[in-house]
Amino acid sequence: MLLREDGKARLIAGGTDLILEIRDHANSFEALVDVSRIPGLDRIHSDGERIHLGPLVTMTQVEESLLLKQHAIALWEACSWVGGPQIRNRATLAGNIVSAQPAADGAIALVALNAGLKILGFQGERDLMLSDSYIGVGRSAIDASREMITCIEFEGQHQGEASAFRRMAQRKAMALPQLNCAVWIASSVGYCTNARIAVGPVATMPFRARQAEAYLVGKPLTDETITACAAAIQEEVQPRDSMLRGSGLYRKEMAEALARETIKLAISRLEGSLA
Amino acid sequence: MKHIRLQINGVWRTGWANPGQTLLDFLREELNCTEVKKGCGKGDCGACTVIMNGISIDSCLTLALQAEGAEIITAKGLGTKDNPHPLQEAFIEKGAFQCGFCTPGMILSAKALLDKNPKPNREEIRRGLSGNICRCTGYRKIEEAVASASERSSNQSDDRELKDQ
Repeated sequence: MLLREDGKARLIAGGTDLILEIRDHANSFEALVDVSRIPGLDRIHSDGERIHLGPLVTMTQVEESLLLKQHAIALWEACSWVGGPQIRNRATLAGNIVSAQPAADGAIALVALNAGLKILGFQGERDLMLSDSYIGVGRSAIDASREMITCIEFEGQHQGEASAFRRMAQRKAMALPQLNCAVWIASSVGYCTNARIAVGPVATMPFRARQAEAYLVGKPLTDETITACAAAIQEEVQPRDSMLRGSGLYRKEMAEALARETIKLAISRLEGSLA
Repeated sequence: MKHIRLQINGVWRTGWANPGQTLLDFLREELNCTEVKKGCGKGDCGACTVIMNGISIDSCLTLALQAEGAEIITAKGLGTKDNPHPLQEAFIEKGAFQCGFCTPGMILSAKALLDKNPKPNREEIRRGLSGNICRCTGYRKIEEAVASASERSSNQSDDRELKDQ
C-alpha cells in the first residue's frame, strides 16, 4: 500500500505521537496505513544470543516482560517512565525510535544497549544501527512513508555486564524528562572492560558520551573513577536552554549528578550479578 | 467516510467515521457516548479513557478507524444506578468527586488496574491512575475509593464483569 501511494501514505501503529501531529497540523498525509492489528508483530523473544522485539511491542509489554527485566533492565526502567498507563498501552518502542526525539526514554536506553534495527522497504530488508537512524531533532533516517521497522534487536546480558536508566523530571509521572541517562557496562575483576553511556536531551539526537566511555574503559570501578567519568560527561554534553526542561547551564550541571548516579546504579547491579 | 462497526459495552453499534477522526470524537459525536469526556485532547488528562479489547487507552490518541471491530467499555458499561459496579459504589461512599469531570476516566483506569492487579498497594494505585488528572486535585479520596473497591471485590468475589469479557 505504501508503494502504491508513493510516499504520500504513512504508517501508523500506536499513534500516540502521530495523532497529535495530525491534530496540530504539523504533518499531513493523504493516507495512513494502520499496522497496529497485524498479528505476530508484538513478540519479545530471545534466541539465546540476542533479544528481538517486534515493531508493535508496546511500552507496557516491555514493562511486563521478565526477560527484559533480567537482560535489559535499562530499557525496562526507561519504558516505565513514558506517559501514563493509557499511553504505554498504545505507544510502541518502534514509534519511540521513528519519532526521533533526543529525549525519548526508550530510545536512550536502546542506544546504550547498542540496539540494531531491521528495516523493510521497497528494495528489501536492510540493517541499521539505532544510533545511525537519527538525522536531526524529530527526523529519522527511517522513512515511515516508504519503510518500516520489522525488528529491534540487541545482545542479551552476559556475566559481568549490567545496565541502568535514570531520569530527572519535574514530576514523578506524566512528565517529559529534563535529562535522562542510560548506562551499559561490562567488567572483569573489578575493572571496566567496556561501556556505553547515552544521555538525552542534550543534543539533536540521543547522545553517546564517547569521551567518558573511553575514559572508563580499563579503569578500576572505584568512586574516584565514577566521579571523574561523570565530570567528563558534564564536559561533553551541550544541553540547550529550554522552557520545558530548564536552562542549559542548569542541565549541564545536573548531567554530572544524574550520570554519576546512573553509573553507580549499573555498577551495583554488576556486583549483584557477580555474587 | 467509512461505516464502521464496534462493540460498545457489549452492544454492537455502527456509525460513520472520518479517516482522521479520533475515537473520542467518534464516540461522542457519532454514537452519542457523552460519558467519555473530552479534556485536553492530547493524552495528558485521561478524561477520555476507555477500555479497548481489555486495555485502557486514551481515546483522543486513537483513530476511530483503528477501533473497527473492537470491544470498547465506557463508564456507562460498568454498572447502573440500581446495580453499580464496586468501584462506582466506592467512589460514591468515599466522596471521590469534586466537579466529576475526571470521574469516568478515573473509574476506567481503576478498573483496568484492578483487572490486572486485584490487590494493589497505595503506590500501585497512584501509578495506575497516573495517566488521569483531577483538576480539582481530589486525589486522596479517589485513591481511598480504589483501595476500598479492591477490598470489597476480594471480599465478595462477586464478579460483575461484562459477560463477554
